[in-house]
Amino acid sequence: MSANKRWDTIIVGAGHNGLVAANYLAKAGRKVLVLEARDRAGGQLELHAGGQLRPDIVRELDLTRHGLVAGTPAPYISLLPDGRRLVLSAADAAATRGSIEQFSAKDAQRWPEFVAFMDRTAAFLDAAYRTPMPRLPHVSLAEGLPLAKLAWTLRRLGGKDMFRVIRAMSMSTIEFTEEWFESEELKAAIAAVGIHGFTLGSMSAGTGYTLMHNWLNRGGLGHRTGGTAQIGDALVAALKANGGELRTSSGVQQILLHRSRATGVRLNSGEEIPASTVFSAADPRRTLLGLVGAPDLPTEFVWHVQSIKMRGSVAKVLLRTDGAHGLPAGTLVVAPTLKYLERAFDAAKYGEIAQHPYLEVTTAGDVVSIHMQSAPYKLRGADWVDARADVERIAIETLAEHLPVLKASIRDVRTITPRDLERDYALTEGDLNHGQLILDQMFFMRPLPGWSNHATPVDGLYLCGNGMHGGAGISGGPGRNAAQALLKV
Amino acid sequence: MFQLKHTPFHERTAKLSLPQNWRRWAGHVVVGSYDLHVEREYWAIRDAVALIDVSPLMKYMLEGPDAARLLDKLTPRDIGKMAVGQVGYTGWCDDEGKLLDDGTISRLGEQTFRLTSAEPSLRWLSMNAVGMDVTITEVTEKMGALSLQGPKARTVLNLVCKKSLDKLKYFRVMENTLAGRKVTISRTGYTGDLGYEIWMESADALHVWDALMEAGHDYGIVPCGILAMDMARVEAGLFMIDVDYTAANHAWIEGQKSSPLEMGLDWAVHLDKPGYFVGRRALEREQRAGCAWKLMGFEVDWEGMEPLFAQVGLPPQIPAMAVRGSLPVMHDGKQVGYASTSTWSPVLKKYIALVHLQRPHYEPGTRLTIEITVEHKRLHAPGKVVKLPFYEPEWKKK
Amino acid sequence: MTSSNQYDAIVIGAGHNGLIAAAYLARAGKKVAVLERRDVVGGAAVTAEPFPGYRFSQFSYVVSLLRPEIIRDLELPRHGLKILPLPSTVTPMDNGDYLAAWDDHDLTRQELYRHSPRDAEASDEYGRVMARAAKAIKPILGLVPPDPSSLSLRDMMRMLKVGQYAKSLSEKELYQIAKLLTMSAADLLNDWFEFDPLKGTKSASGIIGTFLGPSSPGTAYVLLHHYMGEIDGAFRAWGFCKNGNGGVSAAIASSAHALGVEIRTNAPVQQVIVKGGRAAGVALANGDELQAKVVISAADPKRSFLQFVEEKHLPGEFVQQIRNFRVRGSSGKVNIALSELPDFSCLPGEGPLHRGAISISPSMEYIERAYDEAKYGQFAKNPYIDMIIPSMIDRDMAPPGHHVMSCFVQYAPYDIEGGWDDAKREAFGETVISTIERYAPNIRRAIVGKQVITPKDIEAIAGITGGNIFHGELLLHQLFFLRPAPQWADFRTPLPGYYFGASGAHPGGGVMGAAGKLAAMEVLKDWK
Repeated sequence: MSANKRWDTIIVGAGHNGLVAANYLAKAGRKVLVLEARDRAGGQLELHAGGQLRPDIVRELDLTRHGLVAGTPAPYISLLPDGRRLVLSAADAAATRGSIEQFSAKDAQRWPEFVAFMDRTAAFLDAAYRTPMPRLPHVSLAEGLPLAKLAWTLRRLGGKDMFRVIRAMSMSTIEFTEEWFESEELKAAIAAVGIHGFTLGSMSAGTGYTLMHNWLNRGGLGHRTGGTAQIGDALVAALKANGGELRTSSGVQQILLHRSRATGVRLNSGEEIPASTVFSAADPRRTLLGLVGAPDLPTEFVWHVQSIKMRGSVAKVLLRTDGAHGLPAGTLVVAPTLKYLERAFDAAKYGEIAQHPYLEVTTAGDVVSIHMQSAPYKLRGADWVDARADVERIAIETLAEHLPVLKASIRDVRTITPRDLERDYALTEGDLNHGQLILDQMFFMRPLPGWSNHATPVDGLYLCGNGMHGGAGISGGPGRNAAQALLKV
Repeated sequence: MFQLKHTPFHERTAKLSLPQNWRRWAGHVVVGSYDLHVEREYWAIRDAVALIDVSPLMKYMLEGPDAARLLDKLTPRDIGKMAVGQVGYTGWCDDEGKLLDDGTISRLGEQTFRLTSAEPSLRWLSMNAVGMDVTITEVTEKMGALSLQGPKARTVLNLVCKKSLDKLKYFRVMENTLAGRKVTISRTGYTGDLGYEIWMESADALHVWDALMEAGHDYGIVPCGILAMDMARVEAGLFMIDVDYTAANHAWIEGQKSSPLEMGLDWAVHLDKPGYFVGRRALEREQRAGCAWKLMGFEVDWEGMEPLFAQVGLPPQIPAMAVRGSLPVMHDGKQVGYASTSTWSPVLKKYIALVHLQRPHYEPGTRLTIEITVEHKRLHAPGKVVKLPFYEPEWKKK
Repeated sequence: MTSSNQYDAIVIGAGHNGLIAAAYLARAGKKVAVLERRDVVGGAAVTAEPFPGYRFSQFSYVVSLLRPEIIRDLELPRHGLKILPLPSTVTPMDNGDYLAAWDDHDLTRQELYRHSPRDAEASDEYGRVMARAAKAIKPILGLVPPDPSSLSLRDMMRMLKVGQYAKSLSEKELYQIAKLLTMSAADLLNDWFEFDPLKGTKSASGIIGTFLGPSSPGTAYVLLHHYMGEIDGAFRAWGFCKNGNGGVSAAIASSAHALGVEIRTNAPVQQVIVKGGRAAGVALANGDELQAKVVISAADPKRSFLQFVEEKHLPGEFVQQIRNFRVRGSSGKVNIALSELPDFSCLPGEGPLHRGAISISPSMEYIERAYDEAKYGQFAKNPYIDMIIPSMIDRDMAPPGHHVMSCFVQYAPYDIEGGWDDAKREAFGETVISTIERYAPNIRRAIVGKQVITPKDIEAIAGITGGNIFHGELLLHQLFFLRPAPQWADFRTPLPGYYFGASGAHPGGGVMGAAGKLAAMEVLKDWK
């Protein structure tokens, strides 16, 4: 038991970032304790249809030895009206070409160039996410070198690509895709990945950036299938092997301070556990206003934390079927046109559920997972207790339009609303990103300007979750960056 | 359709001001002086009793279990050490330890405080109250406030108040009944003399005014405008926001900001108190490093100044009222600071100023020069740095 | 008066930037001609008299951003420039009340306080924060954007200047600006305020001239852009030019003329003449040819590069980028001649509100929904309207007792579904009138004449492709070193001898004159 052990670092939250950070610290010889409120580790991993940890993390933590299985690429399929489909498959260039040619020969011809450009862009973004973001403008030489290196990486893309990337960051997916393609179907299929997971529309500025981000995390448009829950298992196994400890069903109620320095935590049970440093993998708002408390934080800082835009608008509808759902394998989307995507987003702006939502659907055996967008956390004139049924109905109806056999195959439905995400997964406002990935909440400004280096106004308290640079998705980048930040000090 | 705000005493003050020299104060108009010259009002403060309308002060009631906690976070003062019935003067800072405003905290109950400030503070109070169980109510327009200052102030008050003022100590507050109306009275003021501030419901304002004027008649009571008060406050070593310091949120550049330590409020900064307060880290750093600037007093040497005027055949010409213009202060021909308010002090018969000085020139006794204009020429008169206040009569705290 | 047809420099377009560029070149001793397609100078800063006796700023209608150094250098006051104060903004509310911002701090605070005590204080603080941010970002207006992909000495020096500028900012200022460049106006305003009409009115200046709504990222920048206005050193003040915005152009033209610039109207340019890979002059539509060492286009980017220059003279990449440059117009203008003042129910009778701006912007959602309609190809049924009554400020704009009212309207998309025609223009104008009517019921009977201008009309009359009032949307990826195209943001173009200096260049749109001046300076730097 850990009762009298003096911990170097307590990590609040055994989500993917918490576990990654814990592993790095444990590997470096620190006495690490991870505290998880739920009865199992993994956090939001199980909510993701696909995704993977960053390869360098997999390698450095030797996760394949601990059971991690790499996902396999699968096709990305856009379900269009009248039973047509657009199938984009990284594994089958000829089939992809043929599929695009249904809509535009010119687009089919340009597709490989686009993929190559996106891969180059993703590589740059990957480098960016591995570069720690210091607290501007007082950048030490040690901090400045990686930044200079990153700038050089950007420069080495070449003049043409460099500007394309810079411009794409603030563009909307509609603008971005219009510069490449002419067919609505293809543009919308791409734009869907740009808005996936975020409360943004195809016409929103900054969806060029989120497209690049999601492309990086997925390795393209489609998810690699292979189950994300096992990532959590592998990380837990590795943690134990590295000498770290995990306690589940041990929710943290309060981070303890003395004169603005973290001294440990208090659990919901009342138990107090001291530690020299505390990492929080929970989102910044929950960590700072919930676990620390506004009274102990600088005033304007509190205001800025309150202002972090979370506003989740994702709901999940999980269907247990008899197997005869009719859905092909891969990542399926309902995203027929750019205007369709934008209209769905419009609903979220006004606190309404989109009647014709963007859907992303994946299957695993009998289970059909529907990711639905524009189910905003803050509903106007309604609450999620009643609206749950609406989400369920809309998601199934929308998908059923494309798959006539679907409804008959359904045996059981489980719906996860943004409110459920908040309550059951500790995601403030149901935002899996721990803070929307919008232009003013990225890089040096994530989670707040001046606080991008994982530190907080409380000495010894660090943020290591998705709300940090590199976050949004399950790459584990923030966890690694946070651990490195502490180890370097 | 446009009108600046009137205080609850406006009906009286408007009729009594001969020069009608209105001044703006926090969106209100208040009387500059009642007489054509300020001397009589000034001397009432120092030798009799003066009645000053200070209603435009921003006033907030803070009530609830976390009222003390809010003030403890807001200000560097240790609120835990404030007894019920105590009044504390304090400044408060931003996260970088620079002054935002200053005012008084009156502890009216265990969980009841009244805060005054110069600038509107509802927003800043609310931002600091996040996560706390406290109700903040602005009562600026709901309450009238009078300042009764001068050696005869207590005598006059005792004539109209139900409870005696004799036991009310300096910087203490009490509830009372004045001419039948409920008031709170604090032994505070902005003049450095014996004095009281009287707080009442706006509806009772005129009644209280009339009662005081009547009771004070035989003691030489005089309504006093803010121009005369300005002279007295300099003598008392009391600074004013946006005149003697720039509020941190009004400043355009760093150099315009001041810390409470610089402004001589170190006695109100309790760095050893437990718990977080806004600006703690920065103030700790500053205390370790020492202040780069300090607010001090400056007394001009008459003998040194007289010849500068005599050279052009004039007697020394000092403004009859407090001057809020900036005057350079020099050491060996180099500027080392500036005066923010200067005035002739009738009671001390000296030309004095509140000055901001760079280290190491702020030590008391340091001889420096201050700029004066003699027949359109900028010259420099000698003087010395002194501790504040310039003037503190023995009856002020008795 | 044409001597030979030989000049040092030819400027295409007598909008305010073109005139300013010409004036600065003439000041440096060059022989300059400005060629204007229309019969009047001014571009979109013109005063028209569609109904005899009633004069309107036809397109742009207020002044604030005009660079003080240009006013001084060209001695514009001596040439008749008079900027009269526009002291207030009143927002009528749907419940019959109103929100006003007057030019006195205490009065405005009182006014806000009665709606929201919190917002009254927040407004003070917000104003200070924005003023400091505007002060911090202003120097950018006068910087020539560097090419970050270039390793040339010139670009290194420019990057250094940008770096020095960034270093001069305090940490807080740096963050403010970074946030303001990337946030949406809605997020920014929701952080500060609670009162809807206040937020609605403020958010409007974040979407002027853009094809974005208040909740679109990047609109906080546009808000800041409009905050950089100043008059006589007073930050954030807006004014009305005597005789309308045509007065601005007239003063600049007069100054240019006094400096020796030759201005030819009714002289549309057909093409830039290219000889030996260099711009060598222009050919007019009527066949006349004028020679010059240098040609500067002060037209919009599309016209400048896709119309005036044959495609073969420009790199394919550049042409593609200009084609991609977004110039969607989203605003219209309704200019109304009135026999009486509009009587606003919220503040009946003639009053101070008539001397300022009246803003139909009851909430951010109102404006957001107007934007939504434009996204799908419709003009807004409930549009945002910014009204001023010039005749209340400058009595010479209308016959005595009568008035002219200038209404700036959003949204009216350039590419409206089915295209703009007379019927749609009429319907748009009617929508504007009936919107105003909700707040000023007498408006209809007071109308003596009405001129409705759609983005298509802006294109046709003022010659701005796409009808976008800024010659190109103020989007982050179309600003600074990306405006109008990457690597060509320093007023030069891929065609030697051909320069570019109008709103489609840095620092963007508004009646600023900065682009014209900066272009002229670059021309002079290159001069051999």
